[in-house]
Amino acid sequence: MTSSTTSAVYIHVIEDVINKVRDEFVNNGGPGESVLNELQALWETKMMIAGAIVGRAERSSGQKQPAPGSAITPVHDLNVPYEGTEEYETPTADMLFPPTPLQTPLPTPLPGTADGSMYNIPTGGSDYLTPVNDSGGNADVKGGRPSPYMQSPSPWANQRTPLSVDVNVAYVEGRDEVDRGTSNQPLTQDFFMMPPGKRKREDFATQYNNGGGGGYIPQQDGAGDPTSEVAKTVENQANFLGRHDSATKAKSKILAHVATSSSKILQLDGPIPDPFDDMLSTPNIYNYQGVVSDDYNVANTPAPNDLQAATPAPVSQNNTVDDDEDEPLNEDDDDDDLDDVDQEELNTQHLVLAQFDKVTRTKSRWKCTLKDGIMHINNKDILFNKATGEFDF
Amino acid sequence: MATFELYWRSTIGMCLTETLDEMVSSSTLSSELAIQVLVQFDKCMTEALESQVKRKVSIKGHLHTYRFCDNVWTFILQDALFKNEDSQENVGRVKIVACDSKLLSQ
Repeated sequence: MTSSTTSAVYIHVIEDVINKVRDEFVNNGGPGESVLNELQALWETKMMIAGAIVGRAERSSGQKQPAPGSAITPVHDLNVPYEGTEEYETPTADMLFPPTPLQTPLPTPLPGTADGSMYNIPTGGSDYLTPVNDSGGNADVKGGRPSPYMQSPSPWANQRTPLSVDVNVAYVEGRDEVDRGTSNQPLTQDFFMMPPGKRKREDFATQYNNGGGGGYIPQQDGAGDPTSEVAKTVENQANFLGRHDSATKAKSKILAHVATSSSKILQLDGPIPDPFDDMLSTPNIYNYQGVVSDDYNVANTPAPNDLQAATPAPVSQNNTVDDDEDEPLNEDDDDDDLDDVDQEELNTQHLVLAQFDKVTRTKSRWKCTLKDGIMHINNKDILFNKATGEFDF
Repeated sequence: MATFELYWRSTIGMCLTETLDEMVSSSTLSSELAIQVLVQFDKCMTEALESQVKRKVSIKGHLHTYRFCDNVWTFILQDALFKNEDSQENVGRVKIVACDSKLLSQ
């Protein structure tokens, strides 16, 4: 419901326009006065339906304008605290009517404004809330996806150091086992002998066998393949002699992983071998290391998971790639937001049409001076001839 | 004198354009005459706002979007407060379209 002044201005504009186009309608072969009157009538009818102007009959009488708090109207406004005349102030009337202000929680606004304000404000808020919540929820969900995969390497990395510790412990314990394995030492010696040109390793082997006090057994595990043994000896050299040749270092790194993975040395991918099956299929080297290999079994049982852990990595990468494509762009967030609001709230969209004199900005603070404007907000039309705006971006 | 076609989007302007559309569709009115009516409406509306309205309003709010294109500023405010002399209005979202006042006076 517009105020009376706004309505009066509108009516003035309508009449002004009709008067100014009357010449075109009547003269020069125009449609005529009747068409002009029809135009005016239709225009005013639509304005009254929209609530922009007050009807002529209503304006002339001047009493039917609903206004809150008016006690003069014959229709009782129950939202107003009852102010009865003396003749009504009987005990029964007091018992009946005083609760009225308590029953109605608030003075209800005019029906037009109530509908507009109540529907506009919550939807305006909720429209901005829901996308934020959705994007936040998605971020949480998508952010949580890589984490299970990311954590998988760490247990094994953590366990690798214990392996080395366990290895040392095994070696200490293996001093007793060396006695068990003494019968096999000639076999190991034989193995050391097999590769040509590895006399240095033989010497070290003899030193180990002779010393024994160092507790360093050249082989903790290994496949029956001579290449792996050679690599192991290389590793042993690197470990015990402190050599840091690049080749040996690389091999030692490979063998460090290989040593920890025990029987699954040569395969890092492909079908997951059963550790026990591999042990059975390999030669007698494992025999004297039966107890020691138990330790590796404990350490090795997670090894298949190592192989399994490798495969999720590309999968998680794919997920992250998808996330990069979908999430950070957020192309449609604002478009959906604005489009929905514009399409759904065309009639109730709050709008200000005006002319600007000056628009300035300082950092994120905007100031503007407007003039001659029509505002349609909260289902009301308000006119102004001057306005100042201060906005924070 | 140039006209803005700015106030055609107001309530009064929409009612007029709807009425003219109906009459042109029913061939009661020629389209040329309808255009003349609209132009006249622009002039009358601008003149009425200048002379008959004496109200000052202050607007405050969070600027969500600003756009300046073809000498027309468009602002979209959130949680705006419109202060009148005797009343005030709160709106969750409002669009402000403003044309350059200097162009009209040329």
